[in-house]
Parts: sequence; structure tokens; C-alpha cells
Amino acid sequence: MTSPPRRAGRLRALRDDGGLRALAALGLALYAVFIVLPLFMSLHTSLTNANPLNASSQYVGLANYRQMLHDSELHSAVIYTLVLAFGVTIVANLLGFGFAVLLNRTSLSYRVLRTLAFLPQVISGVITGFVWQTILTENGILNTLLQHMGLISQPVDWLGDPRLAQLSVGIVVSWVLSGFTTVVYLAALQSIPQELYDAASIDGAGPARRLRSITIPMTAPATTICVTICMITVLKLYDIITVLTGGGPAFATQSAAQYIVQLAFTSDEFGYASAVAIALLAISAVLALTMTNVLRRREVNL
Amino acid sequence: MTAPAFTSSPAATATGPTPPDRGRTKSTLRQRLSPLRVLMAIVITLVFVSPIYITVVNAFKSENDIDNNPASPPLHPTMSNITSAINRPDQLLQLGLRNSLIVVLCSVALIIPLSSAFSFWISRRQTRTRAVILASLAAGLMIPPQVVLLPTIRILTILGLDHSYPGLILSNVGGGYFSFAVFVYVGFMRAVPSEVVEAARIDGASSLRIWRSIVMPLVRPATATVTIFLSLWIWNDFLNPLFILGPEQGQTITTGLYLSLGQMQINFGQMFGIMFLAGIIPVVGYLLIQKQFRAGLTAGSVK
Repeated sequence: MTSPPRRAGRLRALRDDGGLRALAALGLALYAVFIVLPLFMSLHTSLTNANPLNASSQYVGLANYRQMLHDSELHSAVIYTLVLAFGVTIVANLLGFGFAVLLNRTSLSYRVLRTLAFLPQVISGVITGFVWQTILTENGILNTLLQHMGLISQPVDWLGDPRLAQLSVGIVVSWVLSGFTTVVYLAALQSIPQELYDAASIDGAGPARRLRSITIPMTAPATTICVTICMITVLKLYDIITVLTGGGPAFATQSAAQYIVQLAFTSDEFGYASAVAIALLAISAVLALTMTNVLRRREVNL
Repeated sequence: MTAPAFTSSPAATATGPTPPDRGRTKSTLRQRLSPLRVLMAIVITLVFVSPIYITVVNAFKSENDIDNNPASPPLHPTMSNITSAINRPDQLLQLGLRNSLIVVLCSVALIIPLSSAFSFWISRRQTRTRAVILASLAAGLMIPPQVVLLPTIRILTILGLDHSYPGLILSNVGGGYFSFAVFVYVGFMRAVPSEVVEAARIDGASSLRIWRSIVMPLVRPATATVTIFLSLWIWNDFLNPLFILGPEQGQTITTGLYLSLGQMQINFGQMFGIMFLAGIIPVVGYLLIQKQFRAGLTAGSVK
């Protein structure tokens, strides 16, 4: 910018701000167009019977929301998503915490192991889905290995049996998120001063007591982060399930996020899909805020 | 969520080394157990990463060797899986990698200046304005992408950008990624001393100039974090390219794999060969810059 002739200081400041403000405004405008506006459009569509085949759509009030009460496919998708969210969050946090405690040493071998532990988080959900599918499918790697070892005589249909498929999805998603929780817990462990442990040892505290009275309280903020992120991630999970099971068999592993996409792009029920999407947003928001609040309070109390 | 974690440079604190003499003088029992401990850690970690190991070794094995022992290292290594993956007539990998690279580069190149300029601007506003705007940006981190997908496609259609790369890139720039970038930058910009900014202003520098020549160099770790994570997330994104780009515009690496491998049966060797090549870029990238990666994750996750 060329420097303008000196005028009142305020005017000058405003004038100089122009370039920066234009950039900042552009950023905010794009956010408004691609997040805020779509959110309100979804809210509006959820009150209509919008459908790409109809030229115009009518306002139907809360009919779409009432329809949700009687939609058993939605109910099973929501229940599965919630069970998955809680199950995966618990498993990934326990695994990640245990892993972090195990790997919290500085020698080279531990550093290499730490590098490996994060790998699941780097790979895309699509690749994760395909690799695990090749492992878990009926004539896949896992059954071949188990049969070679003589542990099973008949192949187990990990992805074909509804219950087993639900479990398999849980294992794969926990695997991905454990890489994340491990790294966060490791960083938290490394910020605990060694003096705390030394003092506790002098006072006669054994390993179990040190874990309960030092390690767990000192990593409480990390727990808050890990639990919240795991929850949100599973609630909007789409790619891994789509590739691994496609929501099957018989919709047993269909997540709420997948159901929305199916309603919108396969069944063309825009209005109803938007209502379900808004409901998912509400569930996510309530869960995330409640969890954060509870865990924040826990951080203080521990 | 918690702001204080941003105030110090996370690169310095998050992965700070533990004292090397941790507990060494005290417990000889612990010393004697330490080889056992390493062994246990190695076994558990290897079990944990076994799916990745399976992918890598079987990418270089013949179908027969995979059937006989899928867990063994490639005793008769073959490149045939790799070459057949590269020589596919649909050019799945080459086109996918090229398209993903274009989307990532353009999206990140736009998000960095827009989000950092916005963060610098907002960090000098009144606290109330700032709180309101940041709260609405926080929503962007939490909104499931499925909620905004349909309207986003409608908006892009109105703009004439539906089913196009510019449309996908634009929706990336304005989407939740922008929120993430702003939160990382705002945290770091709090640590920029206001004296430096004031001094430059007195010297007659415009805000734009101060942002470009003073603030940006000072928040380089934030730029690193934002670049690394946005690149990874956009590279791995599946839902948006699948529906915003649609099938006729060519595929990114994620949607390409899904659309061409989801339908047909290919043998395990070819599957692992393709997965190995498709996954190698982010993995190598991570291995090269893993320190910044984990530091950024620890700081970034405090969103």
C-alpha cells in the first residue's frame, strides 16, 4: 500500500486497515456461505417436503420430525451409532492410556514404537476400510492365519454376521482412534514432573497408588480432549463403515451419518434427510457439551 | 475449548524430553526388568500395527505366498502387484494422486492467508465481538459434514461450481477447516507482543504489511500445524469429494479407490499393492516431519 498523506490518526488507521480487513472479511464470508448459511438452509429444508423430483416444495411443519419417531431403520442406526460412540470412546481411551504409559520412555526403541503407534491416524478411512476388509472377509487374512494356527476349523464370517460385523466395525474404529489417544496421552504424561513421583515414592506410595493419585489426575485434561474428539468423530463417521461393510449386513452396521446420506442421495428425500441431519447435530452438540462439562468438573475434583 | 494450551509454543512443550535420569539411580529392579518391558512394548506395538505390516509385506508377495502364510515377510519378493497397480488401464493411482494433490494444494494455499489474516484482525478487536465470532466459528468444528452437504451442493449449483474442482476447493476453504485454522492461529497470535505491532505501526506500516512481514514469520509454528493437518484431512477426505465432485469429474485418491475397487473382485496381492501405493505419501510425509506432526496434534486437539 502506498503511504497516504498524513491526516487525522484515526482515519489513517482505518485506511491502512483496508487490505487486511478485505482478506479477513473474505475468509469470514466464505465461512458464512459454506457453514452458517447451509446450516440454516438445512433447518429450513427440514420443515418442508423438498424432493429433487418436485419443482416446488411445501412447508410441512414438524412432520419430518414426527416421522422420525416411527422410523425403525433410523432408530437402529441411531442406537448403533450411540453404542459405537460410547464403546469406541471407552476402548480407545483405555488402550491409548495404557499404550502411552507403556511407551513413555525416552530410549530409541520406545521412540520408534511411538512413531508406529500413530500410523493408523495418518492413513485415510478409505484405505483403512479396504485393508481391514481384506483381513476380516470370510476367506481373508485373519481366518487364514487362525486356521493355520489351528485355532478355528471353520472360517469365521467377521463381516457377514450382523453381530460380528457390528463388533468388527467397533474394533477397526477403535484401532484408528487409539493412535490418536496414545499421542495425546503421551504428551500429557511427559508434562508430569518427575518430582511428584519421587515424592510419592518416598512417602511409600506403590505403583498402583501413584497411578491413581498422580498419573490419572494429571492426565485428566488429556482425557477430556480424547473423550470429546472420539465421540464427535464416531458420531459423524462415514468413510470407514461405507468401505468396510457398506452399512450391512442387512443395515446392521449402518450409522446415523450414513443413513442421512442414503436418504438424501439414494431416496431423494431432502426434507426428511435434513430433519435427521439436524437431529444428529443436536445429539452431537448435547453429547459433546455434556461430556466436556462433566470431564472439566472431573479435572478440578481429581 | 481450553485456550491456555495455545499460549506457549506447543512445539517446545508438548514433546519436551523427559529427564534422562528418570528413576535410574533408584530402582535396580526396574533396571533388570527393562529389557522385558521393551520386549513387551515391541510385541504389543507390533500387534497393534499388524494391519499395516500385513499391507506392506503382502504388497510384495505372490498370491500363492499370501495364501500359504499371510504374516511372513516377502521370502520371494515380487514387484508384480506394484507394477500391475501402476499399469492399471484406468490410471486409478496416478489420476487420484494428481487430483488429490491439486485439491490439497489449492485449498491449503487459500486457507492459510485467509485464516491467518482473519485471526490477526479478530485478535485486535474488542473482546465481545471476538467472543461472538469465535463462538460461531467453534460450531464449525463440531457440525457433522452431512448436515451441510446438501445445502452446500445447492449453493455451489447456484454459483455454477457444482461438480467441479473449484467448487470442492471453495467449500473446503469456507468449511470447518477454516475454523480449525483460525483457532490455531488465534492461540499463537496471543503470544505476539503488542509492542512489536505498535512499533511497526508508528513506523508507518499498514496492517497488511504488519501481518505479512511481522506476524506471519512469528507464527510459523502455527502455519506448520495448520498446513500439516489440513493437508492430511483434505487428502483423506471422502464424503465431500464423493458428492461435491461426483462421478464424472475424475476422482481423488479416496473416492477413486472406493468407486473402482468397491464393486469388483481383485486378488489380495493386487489389493495390497494398490493400498500400499495409495497410502505411502501421507505415511512418508508423517515419518519425515513426525515431531511437528505430534506437537501440532497435541496443540490442535485442544480445539
